[in-house]
Amino acid sequence: MTGAGSSRRMAALKLLRRRLIQAVPLMLGVVVINFVLIHLAPGSFLELMTAENQVSDPATIALLRKTYGLEDPTWLQLLKYIWALLHFDFGFSYRQNMPVIDAILLNLPATILLMVSSIALALAVGVAAGVVASMKVRTFWDTIVSVAAMFFFAAPSFWLGIMMIVLFAVKLGWLPVGGMATIGGTGGSIAGGAGGILDILHHLILPTLALGLFYAAIYTRVMRSSMLEVAQLDFVRTARAKGLSRNQVTVHHVLRNALLPVVTILGVQMGTVLAGSVVIESVFSWPGVGSLLFDSVSSRNYPVVLGIMVLGSLVVITANIAVDLVYMWLDPRIEIR
Amino acid sequence: MTNKVSRRVFGAGALATGLIGTSSLPSFAQGDPKRGGTLVATWGGGEPQACYVPAGGGSSPTFSSSKLFERLGNRRMDGVFEGELAESWKPAADFQSYTVKLRKGVKFHDGKDMTSADVVFSIDEIWKKYAAASALTDYVGVEAPDAETVVVKFSKPVPEFFFSSLLCGSVNYIVPKHVYAGSDPITNPANNAPIATGPWKFKEWVRGSHFEYVKNEAYWRPGFPYMDRLIIRYVRDPAGRAAAMEAGEIQIGVFNPVAPPDIKRLVATGKFVATPKGYEEGVWSTSFEVNMRNPIFAKREVRQAMFHAIDRSMIAKTVYYGYARPGTGPVFSPNKEFFTPDTYKTVYDPKKAAALLDAAGYPKKGDGKRFTLNLLAAGWFTENGKIGAIVKQGLEDVGVGINLTVPDRPTSIKRIYSDYDFDVAISNQANPSEPVPSTTQYYTSDGIKKGVPFRNASGFHTPEVDALVEKIKVETDPAKRKAMVVEFQKITTLEASNLPLLELESITVASVKVQNHSNDPNYLAASWYDIWLAS
Repeated sequence: MTGAGSSRRMAALKLLRRRLIQAVPLMLGVVVINFVLIHLAPGSFLELMTAENQVSDPATIALLRKTYGLEDPTWLQLLKYIWALLHFDFGFSYRQNMPVIDAILLNLPATILLMVSSIALALAVGVAAGVVASMKVRTFWDTIVSVAAMFFFAAPSFWLGIMMIVLFAVKLGWLPVGGMATIGGTGGSIAGGAGGILDILHHLILPTLALGLFYAAIYTRVMRSSMLEVAQLDFVRTARAKGLSRNQVTVHHVLRNALLPVVTILGVQMGTVLAGSVVIESVFSWPGVGSLLFDSVSSRNYPVVLGIMVLGSLVVITANIAVDLVYMWLDPRIEIR
Repeated sequence: MTNKVSRRVFGAGALATGLIGTSSLPSFAQGDPKRGGTLVATWGGGEPQACYVPAGGGSSPTFSSSKLFERLGNRRMDGVFEGELAESWKPAADFQSYTVKLRKGVKFHDGKDMTSADVVFSIDEIWKKYAAASALTDYVGVEAPDAETVVVKFSKPVPEFFFSSLLCGSVNYIVPKHVYAGSDPITNPANNAPIATGPWKFKEWVRGSHFEYVKNEAYWRPGFPYMDRLIIRYVRDPAGRAAAMEAGEIQIGVFNPVAPPDIKRLVATGKFVATPKGYEEGVWSTSFEVNMRNPIFAKREVRQAMFHAIDRSMIAKTVYYGYARPGTGPVFSPNKEFFTPDTYKTVYDPKKAAALLDAAGYPKKGDGKRFTLNLLAAGWFTENGKIGAIVKQGLEDVGVGINLTVPDRPTSIKRIYSDYDFDVAISNQANPSEPVPSTTQYYTSDGIKKGVPFRNASGFHTPEVDALVEKIKVETDPAKRKAMVVEFQKITTLEASNLPLLELESITVASVKVQNHSNDPNYLAASWYDIWLAS
């Protein structure tokens, strides 16, 4: 290993350590703010639970308050919650009648699948379209890409989702209306073998398009302008002067450097993709964390809402740390403090 | 006579409204039923908190659990009470006890026999404590002389119609004692994978997606169910439900599964039918409740004026696209047993509203307002918010200032039923034919239960109404009892503390292939044992 390589690895480890230390107070802040905000909302899950179960006996209500720790002052509830979190205990969901972490983990794979596929689609389409537009700037292809990007950026994802359902599921019958698997079918799971995986992928297409095309539009615009900007820099001109082909210059010199803004946006948008999945999961009946969050907010299921907020924050923080590391890998000149 | 209490024809009125064209009449069985296959159903709401909620828990768990569990009795479309898990029931001479003969040879899904011990457990531990607590106020106990008989005892005479309705109550199920004994029924894990006696057996719950039920091969009705599998699928978005139906992924949707404009569009394709049948035993209304704790409402004229200022026909047309009709009183018009139209008419008449407010001592002030009220439109149905805007406009036209809020479901429940934090509220009620206690509890002092939703939040009560309801509870002569309920309607309509703005027309949409549907007066809560799909 070269000295430069070893030095970069040390720098990366140092950065990782620093970011992890910074993440601790950040997570604490996230927990405190979310806890307080949720407790400021009118109506509690206990009121809804007693309402749904027609419980009016004061003794039963008092027992339930004690069971769920609601008789403690809010600050004590917060401290207990933080203490429990340190032991990876996210509390108990009365509505699902199971630990919060189990309820989230039950829905998490579907959301991760949707997020990963949407981001992959957005990156692939966005980067490719941005490169094409920048290479064919002010041509018919550039106009097509720009108009498409504007359309998908402006179209609300729920509307796009419904329109796609009408076209591809109702009119053409090519794709299913919703859900994650064919109900009652033999597939629909990893355990179902290739047929099961194909069934899931078949159901994944429309929600991925509805969620991913919005971000693809953003990446397209960013990539196009970034490519055009980098192409004007001296080292690109030098590369051309050295006799490298247009494609070699574009791929090896311009593209790699132009990716930096896209990577930055990707890190920031992990949270918004997660938020966007709430809407898309509702439209497509996708059984993910978004659907769980929607139901939990409606039912004031605070433990689950808090659990999702905390895990969501963890995902965003982790993604941003990963982005910092990717930055260093993409451009060795960058030293992140 | 034992269980045949009355005969009435349900649904004719609803169909006669002409809201649904002849092309949208439900399809009934023609030819031999086809056996086998899978039926995918949905409803106009979300996924339940549990497959079965002992206290009811709302329409969603009622829909999911009613395909698995059964009741002692059932009410047919023609109004006749018939036995389900009971073969018959008969009152004692003093009407203070009823002897119920149970059906023989009924087994739970796990193969164990259903006996009188299960019925005793269900009444004592589930009905009395959760599912029917407010109806069993005079309940003394239940005995089981043998494995196929129970005797239910009361401290006062109980009318036969009341008792029959109790046995047919939408969540008054018979649960297996061997599964629930010694546990907390609310948190028993079996609530999410029930073991019951019904035509369908629980197979799987994929949360966020669907329930899968399979045919109960040992069902006590020989040859039923026809189909092999029943899927209850949840699609949160009404447009998504319409698309899934159109794509053939869902065959039937109950309780307004799609938006009103989509009902007409789907029916126009010729592939679907829409019907208001199947909701006669659970008519929904949009109610308007005034908070009697506000001294402005001490005078009856002010309360009456509120109703006269609201154009309910316009609400029916614009908010419900015609799938609703103005309400008249606390007992709804499809209730042929007890309904009377001969009550105080709270028709739309702004001039009368203004005159009543003037007479009550609330003339318009310099700013054009007589007084200002906080109007809370419960946000659990989106229509309530739209109605709130129309009500606000109507009341402001007669000089009543309105601060309108449309909180979400938990906040609405808290503000209306726990904090009484409203002056006037738009809420919803669903009442069965038997008025005690579902209807009467909105007007009696014992219906005022702080923190318990869908009770007497207005705070209205008078010794006269309390006494009348007590008499209705114990009157065993059907004719005398009906006269008392008519009197109850006249008084409560005149008092105008809580009246339906509209009676809602619930709709079922089904593929033309679906046969034998909408054939129960509470179809959402029926077991669907006889449904089948034509080729």
